[in-house]
Amino acid sequence: MTTETSILDAALGDTGAIARHAAEPNAAASRPVPFAWEPWLLWLILLGLWQGIATLIAGQGNPLLPPPTVVFDALWLSLPELLTGTWSSLLILAPGFALAVAAGVGLGLLAGTSPRLGRALFPFAKVAAPVPPTVYIPYAIAVLPTFHLSATFVVFVGAFWPVFQNTVAGAHAVEGRHRDNARVLGFSGFEYLHKVVFPASLPHIFSGMAVGLGFGFILLTVAELFGANAGLGRFVQYYADFGDYPRMVAGILYTGVVTWAAMSVLDRARERALFWLR
Amino acid sequence: MSQTANAALRIERLRFGYDGTPILQDIDVAVAEGEFLALLGPSGSGKSTLLRLIAGLESPGSGRVLAAGRPVAGPGTDRAVVFQNYALFPWMRVVDNVAEAVRKAKPTLGWPAARTQAAGHLNRVGLTGIADKYPFELSGGMQQRAAIARALALESPFLLMDEPFGALDPVNRARLQDLLIEVWQRRTPRPTVVFVTHDVDEALLLADRVAVLGASPGRIIAGFDVPFERPRRRAALFGDHRFHELREAIAEALDADTLARLDAA
Ligand SMILES: Nc1ncnc2c1ncn2[C@@H]1O[C@H](COP(=O)(O)OP(=O)(O)OP(=O)(O)O)[C@@H](O)[C@H]1O
Ligand SMILES: [Mg+2]
Repeated sequence: MTTETSILDAALGDTGAIARHAAEPNAAASRPVPFAWEPWLLWLILLGLWQGIATLIAGQGNPLLPPPTVVFDALWLSLPELLTGTWSSLLILAPGFALAVAAGVGLGLLAGTSPRLGRALFPFAKVAAPVPPTVYIPYAIAVLPTFHLSATFVVFVGAFWPVFQNTVAGAHAVEGRHRDNARVLGFSGFEYLHKVVFPASLPHIFSGMAVGLGFGFILLTVAELFGANAGLGRFVQYYADFGDYPRMVAGILYTGVVTWAAMSVLDRARERALFWLR
Repeated sequence: MSQTANAALRIERLRFGYDGTPILQDIDVAVAEGEFLALLGPSGSGKSTLLRLIAGLESPGSGRVLAAGRPVAGPGTDRAVVFQNYALFPWMRVVDNVAEAVRKAKPTLGWPAARTQAAGHLNRVGLTGIADKYPFELSGGMQQRAAIARALALESPFLLMDEPFGALDPVNRARLQDLLIEVWQRRTPRPTVVFVTHDVDEALLLADRVAVLGASPGRIIAGFDVPFERPRRRAALFGDHRFHELREAIAEALDADTLARLDAA
């Protein structure tokens, strides 16, 4: 299954992307997807441009843009260090993001279905959600006992609001016919929440998770610039201090690949969870 | 007309409006236990609204709805509803959609037993081998059968249906009409049915009695007993002069209402 549409499409409001994803399990099972050469063409052009510009700059004795071959060498040599860094970063990202999803979905479903809780929470959310979470980083590091805890907290805050707000939007968007059916079937409040509102909100929840995961990565790498002794953001910062441009670029590329991989995992999870959408 | 004092369903001087706009006015209806009432009327006359009031999904502005002698205060599993738009939960397997209703009818039943019974209900409406599918894998007609199976699984004394066959092709519609009558007759005691339609022929084929709603605001402008013996066959009905007289009388009532509204405008 080639998915040229990423989960970000949904985050950006492309509802068609959801429909395409949902249609795929059936379509992909029955006929092979034709080979798409267009993305590869773009990669080739970009690589060529990179090589060309790097050669040009290098001829003038400027080290700022090392050519691809040099970067790939640096990448290969740094791979052990990068893998350790990935692990260290994931130990921050995964718990922070997981907590944000759990809290955001749970509170979002409650606030989205209980008018009273909504009235209590929404004014606060309106003020707190738009605060750029990066401003919490120095404070969190100063207040919390370990760097790991501070970074996890900041990732949590950054990922929480998009998940919460999208979950609320999803709960508010539950179709009237589903609500009527739940009432006619005599569902209890809890049954209504977990059998109707939660599944009906999943498209919104996944959009929120995509945005939240993106924020999570940004906050993670920024936090690592402040006080980590390992990790992806820390790797790039460390070699920047030495002016080691090949390793810096290698670290940037590698971080891109990790982010892409995480988004792909989320993408797959969404495809599986939303198979029933047409 | 069976305006008996101990009607199963009774609507008294009911008024209802959305945001001050009157939608229904002076509605008085009594339906005997086991009776099949068709609600007929032009689009916008408030048929769905009246059905929602009986279901308890809306509350009356004034007047009241009594089901089995008790005022309706909200939705309840004693009144099963089939909506027009095959409202199964799309994220649940078909069998689980029905099993939810089975569990409400028999709360002590475990899930495996509820699923088995749900499959039985699906078989009874002619759906075999699709229990584990999801609604999107079913045609519109099959989804509507499943919705009927779910309503029947509640085993409720009242069955409320809002244009349940409105979106179906003629062949499927005829099949489901026959199926509905069959299951309605088989159940003892027979459920009391309120069936909304704007198809006069459908009303005369299915119902014991037809109540005609006029529009703006919605009120009952005529009532007709439908005298045909059951089982009814379409060909026989079309050959029956009473069928054509009834059709004509209903059309006249609807026309008179439309003309009155045009005059008023
Ligand atoms: N939620 C609502 N808010 C405001 N007005 C409504 C609402 N639902 C229905 N109405 C109005 O109430 C009137 C009756 O609507 P209703 O759906 O009951 O008609 P109906 O007889 O079922 O029509 P149809 O045959 O088209 O289904 C209409 O004028 C409609 O515009
Ligand atoms: Mg209607």
